Amino acid sequence: MKPAPFDYCAPQSIDEALARLAAAPQAKLLAGGQSLIPMLNFRLLATDLLIDLTGIAELRGILPHGRSVRVGALTTHHEVETSALIRERFPVMGEVMRHVAHLAIRNRGTIGGSLVHADPAAEWPLLAVLLQARLHAVGPSGKRAIDAQDFLLGALTSSLDADEILLRIDFPALPRRTAWAFDEVALRAGDFALCAAAVTLSVGGSRLTGGPRITDARIALAGVADTAVRVPVAERMIRGQRRLTPELAHQAACAVRDAINPNADLHASADYRRHLCHGLVKRLLEEAQRSCAAPAADDGGDGH
Amino acid sequence: MRKRSDPARLRRPTTGETAISRPKYVGAPVERREDGRLLTGRGRFVDDVAIAGTLHVAFRRSDHAHARILKVDSKAAAACPGVVAIYVAEDIEADFQPIVAQSRMRGYQPTAQPILAKEKARFAGEAIAAVVAESRYLAEDAAALIEVEYEALESLVDPLRSLAEDAPRLHDGTSSNVLVERRFQRGEVEQAFHNPPLAVKERFRFRRKAPAALENRCYLADYRGAADSLTLHTSTQVPGIVRDALVDCLAIPGSRLRVVAPDVGGGFGGKTSLYPEEVLVCVLSRRLERPVKWTSDRLEDLTATSHGFDEVVEAELALDEEGNFLGLRADVIGDVGAYSLFPFTAGIEPVQVASFLPGPYRIDAYQGRVRCVATSKTALGPYRGVGRPAATFVMERLVDMAARRLGQDPKAMRLRNLVQPEDFPYKVASGIVWDRSGFTESLAAACEAIGYESLRGQQEEAREQGRLLGIGMATYAELTGIGSRLSASPGMPFNTGTETAHVCLDSTGGITARFGVTSFGQGLETALSQVVADELGVAIEDVTIVQGDTAAVAHSTGSYASRGAVMGAGAAMLACAALKERLLRVAGLMLNAPPEEVTLAEAGFSAPHSDRRIGFGELAKTYYSRQGAIATDLKNELGELSASRMYDPEWGTTSCGTHIALVEVDRETCQVKVLKYLVAEDCGQLINPRIVEGQNHGGVAQGIGAALLEEVIFDEQGQNLTASFMDYVLPSAAEVPRMEQVHLDLEKPKTLGGIRGMGEGGTIGAPAAIANAVADALAPFDCEVTELPITPERIFRLTRDGRDGSGRGN
Amino acid sequence: MPFERRIAVTVNGVRHERSVEPRLLLSDFLRQMLNLTGTHVGCEQGICGACTVLIDGDSVRSCLTLAVQADNAELRTVEGHGQAQSLSALQRTFKQCHALQCGFCTPGFLATIEDMLNKYPLENENRIRELLSGNLCRCTGYQNIVDAVIAARDDLAQSEAANQQTQQE
Ligand SMILES: Cc1cc2nc3c(=O)[nH]c(=O)nc-3n(C[C@H](O)[C@H](O)[C@H](O)COP(=O)(O)OP(=O)(O)OC[C@H]3O[C@@H](n4cnc5c(N)ncnc54)[C@H](O)[C@@H]3O)c2cc1C
Ligand code: FES
Ligand code: FES
Repeated sequence: MKPAPFDYCAPQSIDEALARLAAAPQAKLLAGGQSLIPMLNFRLLATDLLIDLTGIAELRGILPHGRSVRVGALTTHHEVETSALIRERFPVMGEVMRHVAHLAIRNRGTIGGSLVHADPAAEWPLLAVLLQARLHAVGPSGKRAIDAQDFLLGALTSSLDADEILLRIDFPALPRRTAWAFDEVALRAGDFALCAAAVTLSVGGSRLTGGPRITDARIALAGVADTAVRVPVAERMIRGQRRLTPELAHQAACAVRDAINPNADLHASADYRRHLCHGLVKRLLEEAQRSCAAPAADDGGDGH
Repeated sequence: MRKRSDPARLRRPTTGETAISRPKYVGAPVERREDGRLLTGRGRFVDDVAIAGTLHVAFRRSDHAHARILKVDSKAAAACPGVVAIYVAEDIEADFQPIVAQSRMRGYQPTAQPILAKEKARFAGEAIAAVVAESRYLAEDAAALIEVEYEALESLVDPLRSLAEDAPRLHDGTSSNVLVERRFQRGEVEQAFHNPPLAVKERFRFRRKAPAALENRCYLADYRGAADSLTLHTSTQVPGIVRDALVDCLAIPGSRLRVVAPDVGGGFGGKTSLYPEEVLVCVLSRRLERPVKWTSDRLEDLTATSHGFDEVVEAELALDEEGNFLGLRADVIGDVGAYSLFPFTAGIEPVQVASFLPGPYRIDAYQGRVRCVATSKTALGPYRGVGRPAATFVMERLVDMAARRLGQDPKAMRLRNLVQPEDFPYKVASGIVWDRSGFTESLAAACEAIGYESLRGQQEEAREQGRLLGIGMATYAELTGIGSRLSASPGMPFNTGTETAHVCLDSTGGITARFGVTSFGQGLETALSQVVADELGVAIEDVTIVQGDTAAVAHSTGSYASRGAVMGAGAAMLACAALKERLLRVAGLMLNAPPEEVTLAEAGFSAPHSDRRIGFGELAKTYYSRQGAIATDLKNELGELSASRMYDPEWGTTSCGTHIALVEVDRETCQVKVLKYLVAEDCGQLINPRIVEGQNHGGVAQGIGAALLEEVIFDEQGQNLTASFMDYVLPSAAEVPRMEQVHLDLEKPKTLGGIRGMGEGGTIGAPAAIANAVADALAPFDCEVTELPITPERIFRLTRDGRDGSGRGN
Repeated sequence: MPFERRIAVTVNGVRHERSVEPRLLLSDFLRQMLNLTGTHVGCEQGICGACTVLIDGDSVRSCLTLAVQADNAELRTVEGHGQAQSLSALQRTFKQCHALQCGFCTPGFLATIEDMLNKYPLENENRIRELLSGNLCRCTGYQNIVDAVIAARDDLAQSEAANQQTQQE
């Protein structure tokens, strides 16, 4: 299992990388290599040139931008996992990173690589749709921004063109009082999930407006479709409610189960995935509701 | 009687004649001698051996499970840079005699195992062409360009289909796809099953596993034309078997064919067969007169290293009203894959399922039938536990099912039916004889240590809260250290009954002990040093162990079937005793005392009426190097200060144990969490409790993998869908529980040193214990666990559909 | 050879300059070009962890890293942790706890654990097991490896406490 031959370059700027890419249509961009190199080793993929982006400093880093956060495409999973800014603003992200593969892979693997690779069971696409990320890319005809939902087209397919480079991912701020919960089920710790789910519940309003209500509810799933998905029908059932009762959590989870159309694979049938989804979503909604109710709910949530 | 492993109590008092002074090492948790090199990356595995000028092999392997090979076009490949040669079957045919695993078993149909597939490929992944190039990278570049034209034939994926009259034959010239068929019969089976008060019957499925040693197989052959000599470095458990087979196969005399297995990164049975790639590197090195290496990658390992287990077992147990076993009958179908592997044959795994099925129980009437059916899949070989994991799974499940039907506690049901202490030696219906071993004691000890009764209480409470807690136990027995009166290889034309040790004091006082038994993680280098050091009264550091090299001893078959420690230690004791006799004579002469008055202790010889102490160095120098110091007659008589002895334990001995697992099934995820695990076992004298416990940890982890996660899956075309570690799921640290152990050392068996074999027990007991625990957890649903691994998907279907569950097919 | 690149890599404190093909995996570079065969290869897919080494202090799969990517980097392989006669602290706990059998997985575990000890508090056994799950061992059943990590963590905490005390004094 050795890769077929290819050439290699390590540009130091985005312009240089773009030029290289334009000159070699069969070239592949290399980020952490944690998805690309296994494919090269298995000879599932061949390329004549690898353009290593890791030397381009401006593609890295986690920066605040108003209340939102910008994450460079080459930022590693581990950098996100340990970032103080992320912990403060998007604690769910830090928690989710603990479930991405293993430390040695998190040390190399990047947010951009994961999103472009677009594995149906990967965690970053799930976070991107959950948090309504906007992805910024640059190509021969200039820059463009793409919403996460439009970026993820299908299994191992993103809407990025072969001559484009993903630059950074912007995560808009969550409403102030937002609780979250995440969990996933995998056969073995660190493996790609059979099913992963994340929810957020945002609470707004006051006595003046007739008491607090759930102003925003999001349910995102991975591993149960060709790409990470949100489930608007279930979210609508919750939005506007005063609180999320166990009964409502159950109904929403049923709606999720009925809305998805999972693929079967070696380790999990479509029915089993539906079952997993239902259980996960129900439990996570209840958890999020509990931390909404808890006094500290304003600045994040509990996760677990 | 029951002892937890407490280092203090492990220093046993002196017993037997061979002991010289109070043993210091045997029984103590000595730190391992191999660790220094392995911890610092200075171990030497085959792939670490570098010989200048080495060529590398990559294969073009079959895309089809069963196909005629019409044409192999390697023109483009041959033009690749760095390619030295490309071979197909016809090119090398004249260079070797085919390998055929023989057996005297009645009706056995041998299958020649091709080195490269000729005319026909019989499993997906079988090697068709070999590329030899300057590096593995270049060899793979070329192999990718080889074009093979096939005519697809019907894939034989389901063994039941393979059994059918109209199924195509996998091998020409065979009368059916059944390569081995055996029947066992004892007692009045008809009568036992004639309207018994209770009969439990089920069809069980134990799915295929991959041994998956972390080190992939690797072979490096180095042929030297001038001397017509060949050295093969190989990651094998059985260098002696490989050497003996290659001598016939390659027509090179044994004196010039050396097989070296240096550090080996795990075996578990997957490295006990002679493999085509192993022969091929030898053939090519001889042809090209260059060293030739092949290193398997994981894809090749999971498709072309022997697989394990894989049986369909229909079994029925008859009982009386009180729960006494009346009779047992079973029909075993083993899916043995495409070839009968050398040397252990296609019979090794499934036949043991049938022969060990009655297990440690008193069952007077037993009827067993086993058919080993060829399919177009990777060949089945020995894998840790061989046959007994599946046998124990089936039997222990039947016991629990019967207990449930009768409303009895599983523990009571077992205690009632196990072979009782007074019944030993007990002859099992299949002909196996159990010598005294702690069957009932291990069960009692396990229950006591884990607090069985209170665990049941805990389960009760959990159930009331709707939690699915289950307790499962399994008692098993195995034969270990089998000598010449039985065979570890029924009907096979080679001797697995003896092992050799050669112990030598050289002219500098150095002590070297050479063995045929090999080590691939079991720490035999340490265990055997402990034995030799004690027998010779020296420090462990003073002993150098040589093993894994056919140049070390004249004959050996290596390590498998839990024989290494029993046979190696026995041979060491005999050889040390013989050497000691010589040493005492020399020392006597030097001390002016009769040999019987000389004592050997603390690395020195002394006599009652002398203050003098003679060390090994002084003795050796005097004997070998000081001319005239020793009388010529004596020197002529004694010769070299060394001794070589073979040990034959004749019948071998029984090892047994009971495992208990507490598991919880998560209703939401259908996943199983093992909350508690306990092993109580009788393995006689422990040479090194630390090593024994480590073996159990590892064995149980493999058993848990087999029970919950691991499964080789083929699609309808016979493609292996689990050919990577992504899909063939080995358990990680997060899936394996902490486990407790209790070691029973009841009556010493007759083996030298009172050692019972161990190493496989963990894998034998765990699948059954886990299966019973999961079944117990799922008791609120109307279902039975009949198939392993019991994956979340299968639990999901069982809990959803009740009784029927999933995968009751083949 | 097409596409050769010249790289300079410091491994265990020694600088090596070599010409390599870009496709050469770091694992093969270490094993074949530098003869540092303590780094083992078990899957070439990132799953088994046997090939894990430290690059600039971070644990990394050498089978999923190209040798050219290690240009100008500082590597530590198992050969750099300690010698048979002078084992590193972690190696010693491995030996004392009998945390290895065949030893094939061991170099990868050592690299992973060094990184774990650096980056995480390892507050409990579950967390340790979760963090070890990227390294497969077929021999030990993990229990003794977990025990070795616990021992190493406690040793480290103790020596840090002792250090602080001497600094205060
Ligand atoms: C054993 C193992 C287990 C894993 N388990 C998980 C898991 O549980 N969950 C999970 O989410 N992931 C898992 N992964 C994948 C891991 O997270 C990868 O890091 C990630 O998928 C890819 O990121 P990368 O930076 O390594 O990308 P690379 O492998 O370098 O690239 C991936 C793809 O993205 C392209 N690309 C990369 N960066 C850019 C860019 N800036 N612009 C345009 N294109 C780009 C590349 O050309 C390539 O096509 C696992 C990997 C391994 C080896
Ligand atoms: S060889 Fe690199 S992870 Fe297995
Ligand atoms: S010690 Fe053998 S694989 Fe871990």
